[in-house]
Order: sequence, then C-alpha cells, then structure tokens
Amino acid sequence: MSKKIDVLIIGAGPAGVAAGIGARREGAENVVVLERDWDLGGILQQCIHPGFGLRTFKEELTGPEYMHRFIEQAHEAGVEFRTNTMVFQIDRETNTVWTMNKERGIEALNPGAIVLTMGCRERPLGAIRIPGGRPAGIYTAGTAQRFVNMEGYMPGKRAVILGSGDIGLIMARRMIWEGATVEGVYEVMSWPGGLRRNIAQCLDDYGIPFHLKTTVTKIHGQDRLEGVTVAEVDDHMTPIKGTERFVECDTLLLAIGLIPENELSRMAGIEIHKVTGGPVVNDLLQTTNPAIFAAGNVVIVYDLVDNVSDEGLVAGANAAKYALGKIPSDVKRIPVRGGENVRLYSPQFVTGETDTTIFMRVTHPIEQPCRVFAEPGFYSQRLRYARPGEMNEVKIKAGQVKSAGDISEIVIDIQPV
Amino acid sequence: MDYDIVIIGSGITGASIARELSKYKLRIAVIDKASELPAGASRANSSMIHGGFDDKPGTVKAKFCVPGNKLWHKLKGELDVHINECGSYVCAFNDDETKHLEKLLEQGKTNGAPGVEIISGDKLREKEPNVSGEIVAALWSPEAAIINNFEAVNAMIESAEINGVKLFLETTATGLLVDGGKVRGVSTNRGEFLAPVVINAGGVHSGEIASWAGDTSFRIIPTKGEYFLLDRTTGGFIHSFLFSCPSKAGKGITVLQTAEGNLMSGPTATEQQDPEDRTTTPEGLAEVLKGARRLVPNFPVNMNITTFAGVRANTESGDFEIYALKSPRGFVNAAGIKSPGFTSSPAIAEYIAELLKEELADVITLTPNEKFMPERRNIPRFLYLDMDERRKLAENDPAYAQIVCRCETVTEGQVLEAIRRGARTITAVKMMTRAGTGRCQGGFCCPRVAEILSRELNIPLDEITRHGGESKLLVGKTKEFLLNKKGAAAHE
Repeated sequence: MSKKIDVLIIGAGPAGVAAGIGARREGAENVVVLERDWDLGGILQQCIHPGFGLRTFKEELTGPEYMHRFIEQAHEAGVEFRTNTMVFQIDRETNTVWTMNKERGIEALNPGAIVLTMGCRERPLGAIRIPGGRPAGIYTAGTAQRFVNMEGYMPGKRAVILGSGDIGLIMARRMIWEGATVEGVYEVMSWPGGLRRNIAQCLDDYGIPFHLKTTVTKIHGQDRLEGVTVAEVDDHMTPIKGTERFVECDTLLLAIGLIPENELSRMAGIEIHKVTGGPVVNDLLQTTNPAIFAAGNVVIVYDLVDNVSDEGLVAGANAAKYALGKIPSDVKRIPVRGGENVRLYSPQFVTGETDTTIFMRVTHPIEQPCRVFAEPGFYSQRLRYARPGEMNEVKIKAGQVKSAGDISEIVIDIQPV
Repeated sequence: MDYDIVIIGSGITGASIARELSKYKLRIAVIDKASELPAGASRANSSMIHGGFDDKPGTVKAKFCVPGNKLWHKLKGELDVHINECGSYVCAFNDDETKHLEKLLEQGKTNGAPGVEIISGDKLREKEPNVSGEIVAALWSPEAAIINNFEAVNAMIESAEINGVKLFLETTATGLLVDGGKVRGVSTNRGEFLAPVVINAGGVHSGEIASWAGDTSFRIIPTKGEYFLLDRTTGGFIHSFLFSCPSKAGKGITVLQTAEGNLMSGPTATEQQDPEDRTTTPEGLAEVLKGARRLVPNFPVNMNITTFAGVRANTESGDFEIYALKSPRGFVNAAGIKSPGFTSSPAIAEYIAELLKEELADVITLTPNEKFMPERRNIPRFLYLDMDERRKLAENDPAYAQIVCRCETVTEGQVLEAIRRGARTITAVKMMTRAGTGRCQGGFCCPRVAEILSRELNIPLDEITRHGGESKLLVGKTKEFLLNKKGAAAHE
C-alpha cells in the first residue's frame, strides 16, 4: 500500500509545477503531480520563442527555459512527478481520481486535496461553423506549432491565419521563419485578440497584413486546402456582400480563442462559471468542492505565464493547508460582481483570509485614460487604456476586507475618466 | 475468372450484400474508391433505423424498411454495434400536420411497423421536456432506433471479410466488362476484376454505373443534406429522434441524440449536379438551425463541434432501384439507395441473395457456407467499459492504458487495433475508433494518431494523409523546406 497523497495535482504545465512547489513549501508531505505527456512543462514545451518570465525572472526566456527553472525548484522542493499518466475520471462523491499509465495500469487515488491545473485548449473550427469543404491543411495554431517545433514538420507552405490570438501571431512569424508565406491574419472583431507587442513583433516586423473586421466565409478544397474566401463584416459580425475575395492558401491556422479544459472538473461535480468556462473559485482558489482547488488557464485564460505560475503557487499552498486541516470550513464568501464593461473575471468570491488579485477583461476596448477599481474603496488605479486582449487586475488586501465589515458584494469595473 | 461476384461500393448497401453473400461459398470482391469506410452517404446521414411508417405502401422502400429494422435489432448483437433503441417522434404543430400524422399512422399499420401511435404534445413533452410548447401531437414509433453508422459499416464489412470477402479500397470502378451479352467483370484504376456477376451498390454514382450496362431507366439526383453536430455533453437535451412534418418549406429538419450521445440536427435536401460536393453552405446551415429551433427552441447551437454534409442518391421516382438486368446478364442494381437505406440494407441484402438464386441460377450457384461465422467483435471501447474491464484490458496490453484521444477517451490500444484491421489514414482511425470525433475535433489526437500510423506502417510522417489521395497532413520537414527554398531562390 503506497503512502497517502496529501496534494494531488493534475497537469504539469506552469500552473501544476508551481502548485507542487507551493504545496511542499506549505508543509504537505506527499505531493504528486500527474502529467499525461511524456515530459513536464505542458504547452510551454512547444513555445520555443522568447518573451516568457519578464516579470518573474526579470529576463526574457523561452518557454522551455522558463519551465526548466520551475521544474528545478520543484525537484528541490521534493515534488513527485508521474509522467505518461492520464486522469480519466474523478468521482464526485469520494473525490477519487482514476489514472492510467502503461507501467502502473489503472489506479484509484484518494488524496487529501486536489489541484486542477489542466490548462486550456484551442477553439476548433466547428465552433465557428464556416461553410465549405473539409480538406486537410486546417489546424489550430497550437497543433501547427507542435508539428513545427516538436516534430520538425511543416503543415504547409502558404498560410492564412484566422483569429489574432497570441499563438496565431507567434505562428505567423514562425511560418515566415521557416520559409512559408503568410497571406494575412484575419480577425472578425475590430480589435486584436492577442497582445499588442505580438502584433508589432510577429506581424508588423515581417510585413504580414493584418485585417480587422474580416473573417473567413468559405473553405475551398476537398483533399488538401486550396484557398479560403474572406469577407469584411459589419458591426453584427455579418459578412458584407460584395467584399468577398478568394485567398489562395494550402494551410488555415486557427487562433480563435482558448477554452479552459474542464472535462474532469465537470466530472468532479464542481460549479463551472458560464463566462470564464473555468471553475468558480474564491480567493484561496478553492472551487465549490472544498477539497478541490484550481489554478491557471483552467480557471481563466491568462495572457502571461507569470500570472499562471503565481496562481499555481497560491493554489498549491492552499490545497496543502486544506489537506493539513488548516482551512476553516466557515470562511466568508463575498461575491465579486463585474461592472458593465467587464466581460469576465476571477476569482468570483473573496474570503478576506488572504491578499488577493482579481483578474478581468473588458468587453469593449477603452482607448482613452480610464480607471480600474474595486468598490467599496478597496482599489483604484489609472490606466492609459483598457483592451480585451490585455488583462487588467485589482488588488485587495485581506485587512481591507476584514475592516470593511459586513459587505454584500465587491464591485469591480473599468470606466473612462 | 478471379471472383464469382464483384460488388461496386462498400457503403452500408454494398457491405450488407457482401456479408449476406458470404453465407454462401462464393469468391467475392468489394471495391470502393474511398480510403476508409464509411465514405459516401453512409458516413454522412442521420444514422436512423426507421420505424417504417414513412414509406408509401407498395413501394420498394416499404418492402424493405420494416424487415430491415427487425434485422438490425438482431444484428446489433452479432456485429457488436452500438444502437440506441430510443424510438422516434414525428411532431405536428397544427391541425394540418396532425392530419398528416394520421396518414403516417395508417401507412405504418399497412407496412407492418409495430407499435406506432399518435400521442398528445403534452405526453411528448413529458418524455422530451425541451421540445417546443407549440407541438400539438406526435407520432410515436417505438421500434425506431439510432445507430452508430461509422461502426455499423465497418462491422458489416469486417464480418464479410471474416467470412472470406476481399475488400479493395482506393479502387475506382471505371467501366463494365461485357462479353456476348454477359457480364465479365469491372475495370478499375487498379486493373480488371473479373466475375460473372457485378452488383452495383455505387450510391450516388449508381446511375452512372447502371448506364455502363446500358440501363438508363433511372437517374440519380445527388441531394445534399447538411448537419450540425454538437458536443456530447448536450446529449441529454433530447433522448430520441424528432422529425418535423414535411411542409412546403422543405422535407423537414430532424433533431436527435446520436448513438454516442451527441445532439445532432439536419438534414437539408438540396439537389445538385456534383455527386462529390459535400461542402456546407451558409443557406443550408441557416435552414438547419431554423428547423432545429422550431422543434427545440433552446437548441444549444453554441455547443456545436462540427458541421458536415452528405450527398444522397435520390432518384426521380423517389424509390430504390433493385433488380437484375436481362442483358447484360449478371448485372444487378442495388441503386438509388437513400433514406431509409441504412435501415433497409440488411433486408435488401437478403433479397439480393434470393434474386441471384431465382433469376441468375444459370450464371451463379449459391451453395451455403457451413463455416459462416455470424459473430464479429468490435474494437474494445474503453469509454464504455466498467473499471474492472478496463483494468483487465490494460493489464493484458499496456497500450490500453495510454490515451490518444482525450475527448472520446480512445486509447493507443484501440488505435493499434484499428490499424491491424486495415486503417491507413487519420479518418480511417476516426471511423473505427472515434478518435477525433469529439469536441476538439482532432486538435489533440491528430498529431498523435499520425505518429502512430507513421510508426506502425513504417511510412514517413509527411506521407500520412487525412483521407487518402492528396490530403497529406504535412508538406515536408522544417529545415529541409527552408533550405530548398533558399536554394531555389539562389538559382533564380
């Protein structure tokens, strides 16, 4: 009979590895991170471009370099990793976690606490229902990135990128570096999905055309992709007749959004937020099942990996506290409410047990000075602008919540000044 | 002669005929131009096993639908195929449509469809709470069912192969060989397949194939049907198969839960020239959505995972064309098979065997094959096994403890078994294991399946295709590609 696992972490990407470190530092004895891939690091393994860790390490690292630093720390902290191990079921009554691995077979684990760090996945083509054929040559940007960076194969020679999420922008540049042609990036919204710095460094620097309020309306080709029809859209995102044009290409890369990956969370029976697509959590990163915590892109899709790692450390530490019986069951549960221009935010509840950062995205860009704030009077900060592609945050101190007494909600918003 | 019988087409019709005829001592070849099965209309359809009330008494369709339904309920066990025995409802929104239900009820009784009855809209809503409040009545058909059509076609042809039938994929019939008024075989892109009997199960191409034999008595009107397929988590939204009443606006959109638990809606019925045009259209998808929302107002289209279209082999008469030609002798049509073709196929197959015995006895002799094995076992479906079965499977073969497709919980063991059973493309693995049919539509598993195919078949990764032909996934290695391009630029 093996030792009881105190904290079991599902997924060894940036959130999971940090959660392992956090849990061990908090005093949990037996901390295990499960990873379905053969190596640690999650999606950062294939992100071989620089730009990671500017905040955490004050230097520009590639994805694998960034992960390497955390993995070293985790090994030093005594975290156990099990690779090639997939969780395929979580029983909601008993919190039993079912795993499979070629050597170990099928196992049932009953840990003291669970941290969900499964990350997110890319929205597929079906989600946007583009008419036309179903040829080879259509990939999500991340799948193409895996082919190019991990396997060493090119998905095509002439690409169109639909959507302007960060992976799409990065892949546009990557395709150019590999000698392919990129016909353009097409974004249905009137603002970019990814970071401004990626627009500049990945598109502008290489002269890749970027078309806002334009989308793909038809896919041509039966065996291999032969081209796409693109069209401008009106304010209701309906294609405008007469603006259609054919763009020849053999590859269509999709960067049309990321969805937190919560199949296991749903099995576990925890509440999933309708807008974020991730578990509803409080500022301890505790889900609606008190023994299950969650961190990183499985909760809300972040722009920067630094935030994911930070959150992993916090969730791991709190999961350890829970496993050690140090989290009271009667913590406060003050709801956070987003104002009019807040599309999504996390955490959705504040306990006042800890200092917390609430992350949010605006629905519409505000291209003028504005103010991000948390009421009643917890936080206020001036911003030069607020854009959906770039997350904003408010910070709230535990002391502020305690001294505010009986408040029914915390309101967060961003408004022009 | 190489064979006794060549069957053109391995959709559900051709596969069912092949299996039925494998009960006799015959050398049978089945040829299909696709790289994986099912391909044509058998891949993209409503996967319905019809109750048998919809066909006009006296038609060929009516003759085969009810017997076909009964046979499928038996074949389910023999072939180890997933069938959801959920029944179907035809929904009426007004008096006119209710009258139509009464007509269908009469037809059902004449056709021998068991248990068909008309129920009130409220009774329907007790069973299916998400249907429209405006539905006033429904025709209930308890024997209707929904089949996993990917599994069914593969199961049927596998069973035929177990009993000696030879399957040739990527083999396109190009003409009929006739000698002195007698069929001599089929010419294909891979040479001649000689046999005294040729059975035309060519689906949407069956009209053209019949014309090779000089039979121009019917014409195929390729008719496109477009569909939405939703995430498996939406399955409980509707538990059965809902038909609309046909109206002036169209034949009627259906909403159903597939045998795998996905919500699905379709099809449109758009006549077109090109039998191979399976593209979805904005108009078609809009029509499906409108029809789906009429039946199920909160149809959760935001959970859509893919759209697709199939092309069915409509005929001008609207009926099946199943008969042996007097001349050239040896040519048999199982043509123009569309809805309820999937349902009817096992009954059509039995009829074809009788037809050969009665009308072509001078050409071919059907001697029973005592060694016929009716049983065929599916590739283990990890998703549906209980924990003990899963453990056993993984202990015997560790490949069953490695997930390849996370959406549908498909293991490496299943993918390897599909390859052992003949899968050569990404789509073949998908058809045989369901890897890639889930909510990420292959985003996660496609590179992994490609790697396994490459490794097992010992072919380079950039030779792997999505569905055969020119549908290669990749165009070459990264640096090679860059160097070649630079070299070419330097030349210029």
